[in-house]
Formats: sequence, C-alpha cells, structure tokens
Amino acid sequence: MSAAAQNSGGGTVLELERVTIRFGGLTAVSEVDLAVGEGELVGLIGPNGAGKTTVFNLVTGVYQPTEGRISFDRKPHGRLRPHDLTRRGIARTFQNIRLFGSMSVFDNVRVAMQLHRRFGFGEALWRGRLAAKAEGDVAGRVMELLEIFNLGRVRDELATSLPYGDQRRLEIVRALATRPRLLLLDEPAAGMNPTEKAALAQLIVEVQQRFGISVLLVEHDMRLVMSVCQRIAVLEYGRKIAEGTPQQIQKNPQVIAAYLGKEASDA
Amino acid sequence: MEKLMNNGGSNGAKRWLLLGLVLVAVVSAFSGMINRYYLGVLVEAGVNVTLAVSLNLINGYTGQFSLGHGGFMAVGAYLAAKLTLLFGPALPPALQPVLFAGALLCGGMGAALAGLLVGVPSLRLRGDYLAVVTLAFGEIIRVVFQNSPAFGAATGLSGIAPWTNFFWSWSVALVTVYVVLALVHSTYGRGFLAVNDDEIAASAMGINPVRYKVTAFVVGAFFAGVAGGLFAHLKRAINPEGFNFMRSIDVVVMVILGGMGNTAGVVVAAVLLTLLPELLRGFSEYRMIVYSLLIITLMLLRPQGLFGRSSKGGRL
Amino acid sequence: MLSFDPFELNHPVQQFINGLALGSIYALIALGYTMVYGVLRFINFAHADVLMLGAYAAAFVAPVLAGFLGGPSLLLLFATVLVAAVVCAGIGMLIEALAYRPLRARPKLTVLITAIGVSLFIEFTAQHPAVFGAKTRPFPQLLPAGNLEFAGATLSRVDLLIPVVTVLLLAGLWVLVQRTRMGMAMRAVSFNQNAASLMGVNNNRIISFTFGLGSALAAVAGVLYSVRSSGIDPLMGIRPGLIAFSAAVVGGIGDLGGAVLGGLLLGMLETYAGGVEGLSNYRDAISFGMLVVILLFRPAGLLGRAQVEKV
Repeated sequence: MSAAAQNSGGGTVLELERVTIRFGGLTAVSEVDLAVGEGELVGLIGPNGAGKTTVFNLVTGVYQPTEGRISFDRKPHGRLRPHDLTRRGIARTFQNIRLFGSMSVFDNVRVAMQLHRRFGFGEALWRGRLAAKAEGDVAGRVMELLEIFNLGRVRDELATSLPYGDQRRLEIVRALATRPRLLLLDEPAAGMNPTEKAALAQLIVEVQQRFGISVLLVEHDMRLVMSVCQRIAVLEYGRKIAEGTPQQIQKNPQVIAAYLGKEASDA
Repeated sequence: MEKLMNNGGSNGAKRWLLLGLVLVAVVSAFSGMINRYYLGVLVEAGVNVTLAVSLNLINGYTGQFSLGHGGFMAVGAYLAAKLTLLFGPALPPALQPVLFAGALLCGGMGAALAGLLVGVPSLRLRGDYLAVVTLAFGEIIRVVFQNSPAFGAATGLSGIAPWTNFFWSWSVALVTVYVVLALVHSTYGRGFLAVNDDEIAASAMGINPVRYKVTAFVVGAFFAGVAGGLFAHLKRAINPEGFNFMRSIDVVVMVILGGMGNTAGVVVAAVLLTLLPELLRGFSEYRMIVYSLLIITLMLLRPQGLFGRSSKGGRL
Repeated sequence: MLSFDPFELNHPVQQFINGLALGSIYALIALGYTMVYGVLRFINFAHADVLMLGAYAAAFVAPVLAGFLGGPSLLLLFATVLVAAVVCAGIGMLIEALAYRPLRARPKLTVLITAIGVSLFIEFTAQHPAVFGAKTRPFPQLLPAGNLEFAGATLSRVDLLIPVVTVLLLAGLWVLVQRTRMGMAMRAVSFNQNAASLMGVNNNRIISFTFGLGSALAAVAGVLYSVRSSGIDPLMGIRPGLIAFSAAVVGGIGDLGGAVLGGLLLGMLETYAGGVEGLSNYRDAISFGMLVVILLFRPAGLLGRAQVEKV
C-alpha cells in the first residue's frame, strides 16, 4: 500500500494497483499505483498526453485496464460499467464540458438525482400522491444544491447558455447530485480567469469539507493544485514519476525536469 | 402542453387526460353528424398521431433512429385482427368492445416484445448501424407474415370488423400523448433526454443508457402495435405490403416535420400529413410527387421541423 | 418481386455461378453506398433509384444503338452500359449538387431525410404516366439468346459475364483509388474533410466525383440486373438497393473491400437459400437476419473498424 492510506488516517477509498492500459501498440498508462484516502484531496498532474484523463476513464469504468487492478471501497471494479460505478459512489466532471445541452440547469441536476430515486416508470405514469411527493423532494434537493453554488437564479436557463465558469460549476453540482464518496475533477479551471480560479480553489476545498468526500483533481494550473491538494502524484508518459506533498513535488528534480521547470517559470 | 406536465407533476395532468377522453366521447357520440368521408380521415389522423408520438419517444426524445415502426405496427395489426376474427363472430355485441380492447392490448404487447428484440442490439450499435438493424427487423417481420398461412400469407387478412371509430382512435392517441409526456417530464424520464444529449455523461450520472434505450423501444413499439390494431379495424383488410419500409418512413417524416422531441408539434404534423393527401386529391397523380418535394424543401429550409425549437436532433 | 431463373437451379456449378453473378451486382451497388458514406457519412437512399434510372436509360438507348451495331451482341451490351453509366453519373452529380450540397454543414439526419425525399421524388415522378408509367415494361435483349452447357450445368451467358465485368471494374476502381491523384484526394476527404481542404483538396469536386463514380457503378449494376430479369419498373431499385445497402453495412460501411465482400456474401446466401425448398420465400428475411447477426458480433461490420468516442 502506498503512502496515501497512512497519510490520511482513515481508510483508502480508491486504490489503483499496477494499472496498465494499452490501445493497440500504445501504452497510455503503465503500471500506475495510486491511492486516495477517505476525505483526502489528491492532485494528479503531468504534461499534456501524460495519461491523466485516461486514469479518470479507467477509474470511472469508461475503459477497462489491460493489466492491474482498481478497487473502490476495497471492492474491485471488475468489469463494472460507468453507471454501476456511479451508483457505488464515484462521480466525475469532464475536461471538455459535457452538460446535457437540451436541458435546463435545473434538469441537468435533476437527472443526476434519479440515481437515488425511489420511483420509476410506473409512478412516472400514474403520477399519484407518492410520486408527486418524491418529485417535490427531488426538486427541493436540486434547488438546495443549486443555491449552495449560487446557480439558483439561473435554474430555468438552458445549461449550455451559461457563462463558461458557471458551466464548469454546474458540472460539479451535477456530479455532487449523485451523492458521491469520490469526486473526480478533470481540469475544472480550464478556460477560467485568475479571479474565477481563486474562487474555484475555495469552492473545491469547501465541497470536500462540506460533503465529506474525497477528491481526485486533474489540473494544469500549478498554483491551484499546490494550494488545494494535500498530496500530488505526477504522471509522465503514462508512468507515475513522483508522489508526495506539494512541497516535496515542487522540489523533486525529476518533476522539475519533466514538467514543473517550464510551467513554473511561465506561471 | 409541456407546461402542463411540469406543474407539480401531480394529478393535474391526469385530470386533463380524463377531460380529453370525455371530450372525445362526446364528439364521438355526435360523429353521425360528420360527413362519413371526413370522419374516416379524422379517425385515421388519430391512428397516425399514436404512431408518430410513440416513434417520437424513440427517435426524438431518446435519440435513437428507428426505421422499424412499420414492423411493430404490423405485429399489432395482425395479432389484433386475428383475435377479433377468431372470437368476434361468436360474441354478443355487448362484449365486442371488450374483445376489441383486449385485442388491441395483445397487439400492443406482441409489438412491445418485438420492440424488446429490436432494442437489444442497441446494447452495441449506434447511429446508422442501429437504424439499419431496425430497418432489417421491420422487413423480417413483414416477410414472416408474408409466409404465414395462419395470417393469410401474401394476401393478408380481410373481413376484419370495422370497430375503429373516432372514440377508439382518439382516446388511444390521447393516452399515448399522456404516457409519453408523463414519462419524459418525470425525473425518471429525463434520463431519456440525457441519453440523447450525451450518452457518456449520462452514464457518468448513473444512468444505464441501454436500459433507457430498450425501454423507449418497448414503449414506442407497444403503442405502434396498438395503432396497428386500430389501423386493421379501420381498413378492414391488411396485407404485408401495407407495412413495408415506406410505412416506417411516413411515420419518420411526421416526427421530423413536427420537430424531434416536440410532442405538440408531432401531433400537429401527424394530423397535417394525414390531411395533405386528401387536400391534394384533385391532383392525385401528383400528390406523392408533391409529398416528396415537401420533404426535400422542408429539410433545405427548416430542418428542425415546422414546430421545432432548435436544431437539435443532429444525431442519427 | 422478380424471379428470373428460367431453368432449374439445383446444379452446384450453376448455383455457384448464379450466386456469383447476383453477388457481383450487389457488390457494384454496395460500392456506391459505401463510397458516398466514406466522403459524406450518410446513407444515400436515392442510390437505388439511380440504378433504376440506369436501367431505363439503357432500355431507351439500346434500340437506337442496336440500329448502328446490329442485333444483340457483347458490343451492344457494352455500348449500352457505357451510355447508361454516363447518364447516371450525370444524374448522381446533379442530385448531389441540388439536394445534398446545400446541406453540407447540417446534421447528418437532415441529409438522410433529404435523401429519402429525393428517393421518393424519383420513384413517384418515374411512376407518373407522362414519364415511365407504373407498369413493368420489357427490357430489350442485349446479348444473343442461348445458354452454355458445362459439365451438365446450364449456364447463362449473362451470369458468366457479370463476374468478369465486375472484376474488371473493381480492378479499375482499385487503380483509381490507390494509384491516382483523384483517388488519393478521395481517400483524404474520406479521412478528414477539414484537413483535406487545408491541404488544398477541393472537397466539393471530390464529393461530386464520388457521386458520379458511385452512380455509374449503380447504372452498370442496373443494366446487368435488368438483363437477368424479366422486365423493369420504377420501383425495381428498391429491393436490390436494400440488399446491397445491407451488404455495404455487413462488410463495414465506408470500406470498399467490405462492400464487395458483403455483396458476394448476400448474393450467394440468397441464391443458395432460394434453391432450398421452403426457404426460398424467406430469402429476404435470411439476408436481413444475417445482417443483424453479423452486426451483433461485429458492430462495425466485417471489415469496418469501430470508432471509439474520445472522452
């Protein structure tokens, strides 16, 4: 077991053991070990094409690893599909925003709520008192979440008509609506200006504390990652080349050579 | 109509459905006053509304592209007609509506079963490929009927009781509209739209896309089957050629014309397209040419349909 | 439905040649579907009607040509096919320019529906009494009558000729696609339209050429199909069109080799199923059933490669 579980004190939520995936001849991720502890905020960084998003896709079941093992809550992923894993408690956002374009802000979140609904096809048709109450509950919880993120006032807007930053936040709200225990954020600050980024950093920490969940964060913006993450893992060419606290990573010569050196001087 | 289903999600919509059914019954009671010919067209319009609205669940809301609605319709038409032909003559007139309702339900269920079969390939197939498979299924169903002596083989069934009237046709249409709207406006049913919008994001939200797609196929096919049963008891004779690929295309055109995923628009389009051939009756030689030109012009000028809100539905 | 087998179908050699001939025709039609799909990513429903127009063009021009060339002969067949191919290439390019080009940037579904509209327009216009009329009309005799005897099998000249013609056309097509600038441009457009146009390829010209080429092949198939059948009518293209289109999908739509493979497969299957007592009425169901089964196991067809969506 890696340093993760020891650091966090609590149990390990997510664990990758020597995970490898190959697409044809290309090894996108190679023998990566990674663990995220309960309530931990872990950063995953690396140059473009290092395999960060591929790791996300492996963890969420979009891809199956060629070798190695992924487990969540000590239960192995096996061949579970993405929606099964969401049910288990893994939620994600996407690098290229994937909101439901035909739906309102409200409905985008409502759709994510249906995972825990107590009624389905039959009730939807009969529309009896119970269904009405359940729908009312769902609506209440959707609004609650939207208000926390200051999106309540745009509930009826088309999701894709929101400003970019709001869309990114809506994706986080939508993911939270599935009541995850682990939240994967794929470059949430992409395309944001410095003010928005600062607000986002605060938001991520808030979310993690308020909902008591673990977060795995892929991000290019070093300042953001360094400021919010307790621990950082670095990928290069699909391999993990370093892991440690933000301070350790900043000083790691290998990381500086691969990535930080250039980025840090830009930033 | 959309607003109606949203409000509270409670009994409001159901009340409107009941009111609609009463209205249909009243009109039906006075239908003797309507010119027989126009009445026939109106009854057929109701059948087409059912077909189009149910296909809209599959093609419009869920974003699959089914070209098999003619096949589902055939299953319903043949099953229902066979049942009433078998049991109808022996029955006292008072029980005929019961038999008819039962036959329509059986037809719908048979079609739903076919819909389940067709929906299963959606596990693996997308877009064009799924469209091709639905087309193939529709054709297979037709060929099977064409070769079944029990269903009259190539000549089909005739002498079917003329039980489809204004009441039956439009109450089924109303129920279909209600079911589709109630579904897609519920929290459960928003999943259909999510699958249409972005399958990957939908599954990341815990939605099982396959289950939703298969459900859409089953529900859509059920109502296509009921519509088939109505059709059989309206035309009084059916044959396999009547349910070929062209029939499926007709329904697809209604959905496109109305606007994918826009139930109100699809209802209007189904009625309009039923009336159109009648309006062009004077130029019967040209009416199908006009029909095809209408499709082309519509696609060139207004691809989102006459009543579509946006250019959604880009997916095949 | 047309039945065009004047003799018993049970001899193995005969059945094989028959299947090969029918499969070749399907392959020629399937190539058109697949080429258009390659450059524009949509199913050109009007393709089957171009085939029908090719047959009618041949029926009109053959008597005129026969006046110059004498009676039925190989030469007459080739001359007729040539004229039909040129006419249909023009029609195909016209359809593309009028109906599909204005929709270039639109969703594929829009183009697909338009194609259905074009198909209906051609069919219904052709059925109009002032055009061809709805009735079946005889197709002129292009080849001398008579069959060849071989090892106890009776083989029709057409059936022997069709695979030969097809192989020649395929060889030509292969050279065109693999060895010429035009072919390279076609492959480039099919691979990535934006990149191709950045590289200086005139996309519209290539797409137009592809339509012309596919339509010419459909015309050849239409003439050969008509020679084998008892007559032609405005809806004659629908059935071979549907089967050939299934063939293209079975092979992996967008893949030229796949179209040929799928065509031969479905042609053979249909011929052999037709020879079995009790199955012959189900031959369409069998072809479509095979389509479904193959797609379930190979969702992108036999030779097609599945496209993985990037997340």
